[in-house]
Amino acid sequence: MPSYELALVLRQMARPELVSTLKRTAESILDKGGIIRKIENMGQQNLPYKISVHGQVHKVGNMFTIEFDSAPTQIDDLAEEYSRDIDIIRKNIFKVEQPPEIKCTLHEELLPPAYRKEVQEMVRIGQKKQKKKFNYNSGLDYYPFQK
Amino acid sequence: MLRHVVGQSARILDTNLVCASTNLQFVRWRRKPRWLPVAKSKRFLVPERKPQDSDERLELLRLHNNYRTQLRSVTSYLMKEAEVNRKTSTADHLVLTPEQEEAEFQKCVAENEAWNAKIAQEREARLQKEAAEREAYVARKLEEARIKQEEERERIEEIVRLEKERSRSYITKENLDAAIDHALANPVDHNFAIDLQGNIYRGRDAGPSKPGEKSAEQAALTSGS
Repeated sequence: MPSYELALVLRQMARPELVSTLKRTAESILDKGGIIRKIENMGQQNLPYKISVHGQVHKVGNMFTIEFDSAPTQIDDLAEEYSRDIDIIRKNIFKVEQPPEIKCTLHEELLPPAYRKEVQEMVRIGQKKQKKKFNYNSGLDYYPFQK
Repeated sequence: MLRHVVGQSARILDTNLVCASTNLQFVRWRRKPRWLPVAKSKRFLVPERKPQDSDERLELLRLHNNYRTQLRSVTSYLMKEAEVNRKTSTADHLVLTPEQEEAEFQKCVAENEAWNAKIAQEREARLQKEAAEREAYVARKLEEARIKQEEERERIEEIVRLEKERSRSYITKENLDAAIDHALANPVDHNFAIDLQGNIYRGRDAGPSKPGEKSAEQAALTSGS
């Protein structure tokens, strides 16, 4: 099962309602055979812009993230279910991927152009593309007769 | 006037470039194109045949007759000679007795068999070498596959082991309420800022820390770099 992260923005509401909404949200994941790893609370924050959903205008939201594992086939159902929940302003499900391993190559990039590997490669390609010149096999580097 | 037979080349002639060409002929129609028919006034004209001089004709006839007679005589002589040569010569076919023929055949057979034996020996050696190479290749590939499979299994087992460790901290239906309460009680803030000295300022509304006071992150960052 791949890992996913659910980013939630819940509407402004009292704590018992908040708890019940979170519980509903989490249970729908568990009911679909998912595993919840972590629930994080980012606190109540002003929204960057007015958001109108389910017939209401929201300016403040509660931010949560739920890290979970689930079958990929269930993700669309979950998203659809959350989009129907009137307590949820915004939701987004991201696939968690391992960050790529990046090696620092600054010392190579700072070398003079002639020593850089990619420049050497470019020179090689350029030489390869050059048209072949006919060789007279006369041992001279010029054409001895009138042209 | 010289003109090329092909129309296109005729145009080239006008630029004096035709000199190298070989396909030339003299053209005598200059006022009338080739495809026009005979003029009406000349349609039924039968050109008068010039009378030949009788003495000259007789002389030519005599010379021709002489020539033909001589040529025929030489030809028949050469043919006769060739026929005699063909009958007497043995250059184009061998004359052998049956014993000689048999001996020749046996010699050929023996030589052929020797060649075959030599080639068979070479082929045997080559096939053996190829089989050995193939065996080594297969063995190497099998070993590589085994190692790869083992590595893959180890990797998977490592994942399973880690996941088993993590499974203790999974949130289930039993501890869901507690997890939600814990999350609501402890809001987190992943925002941070970093300045040119490598100071890390945690939090959404964090300001610069007091001078001389180094955070744990900064110490780690400076020692790492």
